Amino acid sequence: MKNKWTLWALVAVLGLGFATAEKVHIMWSGAITGPTSDAGKYYAQGIEDYCSWANDTGYVAGVEFVCETRDDQYNNANTLRNFEEAVDRGDPVFLGYSTGGTLQLKPLVQEVGVPFIPASYHIGNIDPPDNDYVFLPIASYSEQVIAVLEYIAKVAPGAKVAMAIHPSPFGRAPVEDAKKAAAELGIQIVEVQEMAKGLDYTATLKRFENKGVQYIVYQNVAGPVANMIKDAKRLGLKIKHAGAHYAGGPDLLRLAGDAAEGFLWVTAYYMPHEDNAAAKFVKELGAKYGRPADAIESVHYPSGMLAAGIAIEAIKMAKAAGQKISPESTYEALLKMNWANKLAVGPVTYSKDDHVGVDQLRVLEAQKGTFVPVTEPFSSALFRKVHYGK
Amino acid sequence: MSYFLQLLVSGIVVGSIYALAALGFVLIYKASRVINFAHGHFIAIGAFTAYAVATSLGLSVWVAALLALGFTAIVGYFTERVFLKPLVGQPIISVIMVTIGLASVFGGLIHLTPYGSGNFSLPHFLPEGGVSFAGISVSYPQLLAVAFTGVFLAAFGWFFQRSTIGIAMRAVADDQMASMSLGVSVEKVFALAWAAAGLTAAAAGLIVGAISGLNLEGLVGIGLKVFPVVILGGLDSIPGAVVGGIIIGVLENLASGYLDAYIPGGGTGDVFPFFVLLLVLWFKPHGLFGTEEIERV
Repeated sequence: MKNKWTLWALVAVLGLGFATAEKVHIMWSGAITGPTSDAGKYYAQGIEDYCSWANDTGYVAGVEFVCETRDDQYNNANTLRNFEEAVDRGDPVFLGYSTGGTLQLKPLVQEVGVPFIPASYHIGNIDPPDNDYVFLPIASYSEQVIAVLEYIAKVAPGAKVAMAIHPSPFGRAPVEDAKKAAAELGIQIVEVQEMAKGLDYTATLKRFENKGVQYIVYQNVAGPVANMIKDAKRLGLKIKHAGAHYAGGPDLLRLAGDAAEGFLWVTAYYMPHEDNAAAKFVKELGAKYGRPADAIESVHYPSGMLAAGIAIEAIKMAKAAGQKISPESTYEALLKMNWANKLAVGPVTYSKDDHVGVDQLRVLEAQKGTFVPVTEPFSSALFRKVHYGK
Repeated sequence: MSYFLQLLVSGIVVGSIYALAALGFVLIYKASRVINFAHGHFIAIGAFTAYAVATSLGLSVWVAALLALGFTAIVGYFTERVFLKPLVGQPIISVIMVTIGLASVFGGLIHLTPYGSGNFSLPHFLPEGGVSFAGISVSYPQLLAVAFTGVFLAAFGWFFQRSTIGIAMRAVADDQMASMSLGVSVEKVFALAWAAAGLTAAAAGLIVGAISGLNLEGLVGIGLKVFPVVILGGLDSIPGAVVGGIIIGVLENLASGYLDAYIPGGGTGDVFPFFVLLLVLWFKPHGLFGTEEIERV
């Protein structure tokens, strides 16, 4: 009798052991407060909600994701501390944020061999050296800017273009590639102006006007861009405006109002107001997890979801291959990834030589307070030629 | 010529905003010799209060602005009562450290509200567009900035020259001990200076919000812009804050307009005013209108 109860107890314990899901930690370190937190806040919420969705739906059988979004206040020292903590804990993948933080951590990421997925699309993140473990979710800033230059060359051949960039590595990232691409496209980059957030851009805009600039291409964040396009409207300038992923989006429309009309924006994400599966998914998750409208409408919310989605998908692949969930198995899975995700305009594909997830982009135009796609998803024809020489 | 005039006018407008932001800083220094490192956060509190009142209660921005001015003045008053009053007579470095701490506390408190992260826009309360004359264009929010600066300058001019409290504040700034012996309540003067500083900071926050939207980092950043302004104009001079603000604004614009084209990447507008500031301080160490203090040893 005693043996029978012991046997039942053993079975119960083993059963519980098998039934308990394996906890897998995924940490994100980014700016929930401080500079760029206008983007970071929603990016973090996207990560949290995608993880919750994966847990609620049992997306990876036998795995419970514990996703932590840490506020590093845009401070690289805090990012480093968070990354070290994640590495010490044995996290299989790390979600990063800023350009500075990613560029600074690259040698350490290479040393510890933990896959790193940043919110910064700086091409330097995945260029040698120390580039084996960094994976961009979507096409780089360089590719985004070249894509918009290709569009400009099509609609306004021989156009004169000025670039207005953030005074940081983030802003300067695409400049050299853009200059080379412009030469190939027969358009002229007449000036590259670094612009921090200011109250008045009259001087810069009048100078651009005097040089005959027809388009300003922004590699910046929405705040300064909004001020500049409002000033351009006030001054009655006929200059058109275009920008890369972080320059545009609903934030720009909210800040610039009517002045944003006609703004050309390049991104790889679907917009929540579109009538497609991506928008439906984003809205469903936002509603399910109680996010306010401004979060759901922000492009940074699905951006965070995609980053978390890539990490979770890689873990799912590793698990399906019967491997132990670890940085090594997650890395191997990432290199084989071909994920037809719901959030971006193309699949997330990686290989040993390609660390860009979504290669396709769309150009959208602000029309009556909404960004409307004016192109089908496409890949830049020139990026590889000007950046890699092939 | 119209290019130069446009740059000049834009510089004066931007300088007026700097001057408005700097007024509160000068008021506190003038009354109590305290350098307030939390001034940018007062600007943010004023701006976000107006935004919160206008959007959540559905009141007009003008009413919300009045409430924000009053609220920020009260915050300034109680800040002095609670945090600064116990430090009267303590070393100035202690007081400065407290204002740095206050900046962190206010920043943290704002982050507890929905306004800590993100970009916000005040509801439209001014007509679209602006005024154009002789090829020069100025938007309505920019005109409002100039008007606010003029009104506050006139009001404080009258206040310090004509009102009993204003004269008491000047007396306290001149000699605290002598003022106390004549029956002036130094504590009251200090608290009123902080309240007035809160008022002007809120006004600056509203203008910045109307021009460039509301973002905590941006608003606090305007608070930092006042340092070159008040050092150039003189830490204890209200006309100095206005003149300093306008000089910095004009130099920024002229440098951006004429020098950026020759410097790769540009950005001279952010740097050039500091070169001029250094030159001025070489000859006038107390700023253009600051009180020269001579210590005999």
